[in-house]
Amino acid sequence: MGQIMDEVIEDETAFVLRLYSGERKNLVPILQDVCDRLGYLPRAAMERIAEHLAINRGEVYSAATFYNQFRLSPPGRHTVKVCMGTACHIKGGQLILEAWERELDVDVGGVTRDGQFGLERVACVGCCAMAPIVVCDDVVHGRTRPTTVKGIITNLNEREHDIRGDSGQGD
Amino acid sequence: MSKVTLTIDGIQIEAQKGEKVLWAALEGGIYIPSLCAVRGLEPPFAACRLCFVEIEGRGIVTSCTETVADGMVVYTNTPRVKRLRRTAFELLLSHHDTDCSSCPGHGNCELQRIASRLGLKLRQNRFRPVPISYPIDSSHPLITYDPNRCILCGKCVWVCNERGSGVLNFAFRGIDTVVTTFFGLPLADSGCNSCLECAAVCPVGAIALKRDVRPPRS
Amino acid sequence: MIFEEIRDRAIREWEGLRNSGRPLILIGTATCGRAAGAMEVLERIERELGERGIDADVVQVGCMGHCYAEPLIAIAKPGYPPILYGYVTQGTASQLIENFILGDDPCLEFALGALEENELIPTIFDMPRFRYERRILLERCGFIDPQNIDHYIANGGYSALVKALEMTSDEVIEGVRRSGLRGRGGAGFPTGEKFGICREAEGEPKYLICNGDEGDPGAFMDRAILESDPQSVIEGMTIAAYAVGALHGYIYVRAEYPLAVERVRFALRQAEGLGLLGQDILGSGFSFGIELVRGSGAFVCGEETALIASIEGGRGVPHPRPPFPATSGLWGKPTLINNVKTLSIIPHIISKGADWYSSIGTEKSKGTAVFALAGKVINTGLAEVPMGTTLRDIIYGVGGGIPGGKRFKAVQIGGPSGGFLPESMPDIPVDFDSLTEAGVMMGSGGMVILDEDNCMVEAARYLLDFTQRESCGKCTMCRLGTKQMLNILEDITNGEGRLEDLGLLMELAQDVRDGSLCGLGRTAPNPVLTSLSYFRDEYEAHIIEKRCPALVCEKLISYYILPERCERSCDACVGSCSVEAIYAGKGGVKVIDQEKCVKCGICLDSCPPQYSAIVKLSPLSLVPPEEKKPEKSEEGDG
Ligand SMILES: Cc1cc2nc3c(=O)[nH]c(=O)nc-3n(C[C@H](O)[C@H](O)[C@H](O)COP(=O)(O)O)c2cc1C
Ligand code: FES
Repeated sequence: MGQIMDEVIEDETAFVLRLYSGERKNLVPILQDVCDRLGYLPRAAMERIAEHLAINRGEVYSAATFYNQFRLSPPGRHTVKVCMGTACHIKGGQLILEAWERELDVDVGGVTRDGQFGLERVACVGCCAMAPIVVCDDVVHGRTRPTTVKGIITNLNEREHDIRGDSGQGD
Repeated sequence: MSKVTLTIDGIQIEAQKGEKVLWAALEGGIYIPSLCAVRGLEPPFAACRLCFVEIEGRGIVTSCTETVADGMVVYTNTPRVKRLRRTAFELLLSHHDTDCSSCPGHGNCELQRIASRLGLKLRQNRFRPVPISYPIDSSHPLITYDPNRCILCGKCVWVCNERGSGVLNFAFRGIDTVVTTFFGLPLADSGCNSCLECAAVCPVGAIALKRDVRPPRS
Repeated sequence: MIFEEIRDRAIREWEGLRNSGRPLILIGTATCGRAAGAMEVLERIERELGERGIDADVVQVGCMGHCYAEPLIAIAKPGYPPILYGYVTQGTASQLIENFILGDDPCLEFALGALEENELIPTIFDMPRFRYERRILLERCGFIDPQNIDHYIANGGYSALVKALEMTSDEVIEGVRRSGLRGRGGAGFPTGEKFGICREAEGEPKYLICNGDEGDPGAFMDRAILESDPQSVIEGMTIAAYAVGALHGYIYVRAEYPLAVERVRFALRQAEGLGLLGQDILGSGFSFGIELVRGSGAFVCGEETALIASIEGGRGVPHPRPPFPATSGLWGKPTLINNVKTLSIIPHIISKGADWYSSIGTEKSKGTAVFALAGKVINTGLAEVPMGTTLRDIIYGVGGGIPGGKRFKAVQIGGPSGGFLPESMPDIPVDFDSLTEAGVMMGSGGMVILDEDNCMVEAARYLLDFTQRESCGKCTMCRLGTKQMLNILEDITNGEGRLEDLGLLMELAQDVRDGSLCGLGRTAPNPVLTSLSYFRDEYEAHIIEKRCPALVCEKLISYYILPERCERSCDACVGSCSVEAIYAGKGGVKVIDQEKCVKCGICLDSCPPQYSAIVKLSPLSLVPPEEKKPEKSEEGDG
């Protein structure tokens, strides 16, 4: 996704803020919606949110940095989340994570240099029976092995191809 | 308001109903260490875990959260109390820049005071130091902020939001928790109104007045 | 609409589906099914039905708990009993359509069993596991469409609410109290008592929160219920709200469960649409609304005071109790907070009575317990057994034992706040008090089974790593105590531990347990304390011999190719190695360059089973000195 233009940040944030009143309890839901739309929480968005809720911008930052789900920097085009829950761990989740790190040449928490892939760890997606689990762009892959990494990447690229093919011009 | 009578370390103490054991003890001249407690703040922050006492029938509790009751019997120095507060104290020091000589709080530091009152060592070696190396913020004309000396008692955050301009807040979490400004902006650019209350409440040398700055009249 | 009309219509719809004369295909599309490929199977089924112009009904259902056999589909064809099929692929789906739906071969080779008594084949309830199971909460899961409230109503849903609304709130509370129900969120607090405290508490308005955070890694019971039978949670919440006098409720679902969020949101709208939620419910004068709140990824937010702080709009940081939420919770108002399972059992208790409920389970732990079985067990998935069932019956009876003929070593129960129960305690009854006595916690019901290939020190390190990451950072004991414990455990798994570390670890664990502010810190040491008391020998092997008995700890093991077993001309391992650490040595025997090896274990997977030439060795000193890699000649060749 990369860096997002200021106008887009402004528009998307304004869009979300129209859905919520200025009550303090809306802070986390607003952060979630903005993060869903932009992929991360840019500084300008947080400032707008603070204004809307009439709270100090530091409080917005404080909440945004507390939760795992909120990113402060742009994500990769695809997000790969490797489950590090107990069941996945005892079935070799760490080896899976390391295999992804090697394959993508990026440390967990980072984004590849070309911006294609972001690699994250996630604490249990509740599919423990299918461990070890990898979630790629919201598709859950069960019973993965270090050797299935390449296949999942190919699969992602193909799906992307399909989507582009469908919409004609792509993006 | 009515009063209650409790016994702390064998001494009878009268306290206001609703008061916390910590303040009743301190008022009665009995020392209990604490870093994070603010009198009257509800709910109490209860984060530093130094103010442990043992109460008959209740066991080990933090005195800053425990409300006094008539006939309550409190001990501030049982082996269990000593052990817990020593552990908490040493844990705090394991994530703290303990080079006291270069600290602006040197000589006026609650950690030093607690160490000398309780006979604890400032240089502990039970726990391995947890690396901490934030940049020091000296952008502000009147104060410096050294996060490496911060013990996360939360007093500055509370006072800044209560009486100041609300620029200080906790950010991140767990071992990475830090008191900071919006996106870590230098204090000088943060919107701070220089009330200097934070420096006044900081129990250590993390937020300190720059040399030659006179403390505010409060 | 009055309830009788709603129910009659629902029953008509349900019966219409079952007796339509058309084949009915149920497919489990809860998250576990999806992970196994259920959506692809669904797509295939729908496409083939369409292409062949077959008139059949396809209904998406939730999770039946047989997650090991996902994707699951059930086919009810007139003239046959409804049959459940497991491990369904797109291929089997096609075959079933071809041979069973169009033909008359029910393809019993793919069947797990029938879903009703019949002459043809045994039912799934004849499986040995159902000798131990008793399904109450899970009864409907996987059998009804979670997105169709009529299915719920036709199967008895919402009649408990109707009954409760005719009772006084005190009668409802008394019923819950007499049932002996204890909270399923972890601590096992008596639910009726909590209702009573909240009812009596001063302050208006009162709130109700359903805790669906389910943060324990390895637990997925609440997810399964929210995805498979969301109306039962909504009905339970509404009855509880009526009992304590709450007007507004929140259902907090963790962010990692997008499907549960979607299904609950949909279910709320359906309940509102029928007047079962909202203003003046069923004309009773009682009003109650529910708002869905998504979590944002913080384990500590499962803790009730942190959860409340998070809903109020900030950092999910706990505060000291008392005051307990029942007297002072959301915005300082009395707030009833209960787990998903606690609330969804309430309708059953109201319908069937307190005596019925208290007849199940043990003296002090009533009812059933829902467990998520995961890890090294054959039947991974959900199980519901009466409280007091032994560990052995759960793992072997329901779970089918350990795969691959391996030896059972321990079970990690209750998530990171729970602990380990060793193999030596198979007959411990699983209920709140017996577990507490053994030093572990029921938690919300995750059970991860470990076998001989799992290292207990590593497992404890893993759990501490989790709690350390998830500590909110507020209190000293938890923020730094978990970090220091983790440091020690990392030293030990890295082969750098010292014997005196074990004493310090024990001391620290006790102090963090007794001195932390909230339940996260207070329970975080449990995995350390239980593994130290039941598996001390493993700690000592790591420290004294630098040996990991289970061959897990990376720093203490090497991968080694047994020359006498290596096939020489086979190149599988060489090709598989991602770091080019394997080369052909003398006579073509493959050798692992220990310096280069990153211990990813891929070569071990790739070595054909008939050779099984690659082994793990610990301590490192077991690896014979390596022969030198013939660099010169290779360069010459290239
Ligand atoms: C760290 C921590 C995490 C918790 N996570 C959950 C959770 O995911 N789900 C839950 O129902 N209760 C959880 N609890 C327990 C809740 O604080 C609370 O006791 C529970 O929701 C009460 O419901 P019950 O009475 O129905 O058990 C957690 C507690 C702690 C200390
Ligand atoms: S003063 Fe009680 S915990 Fe800090």
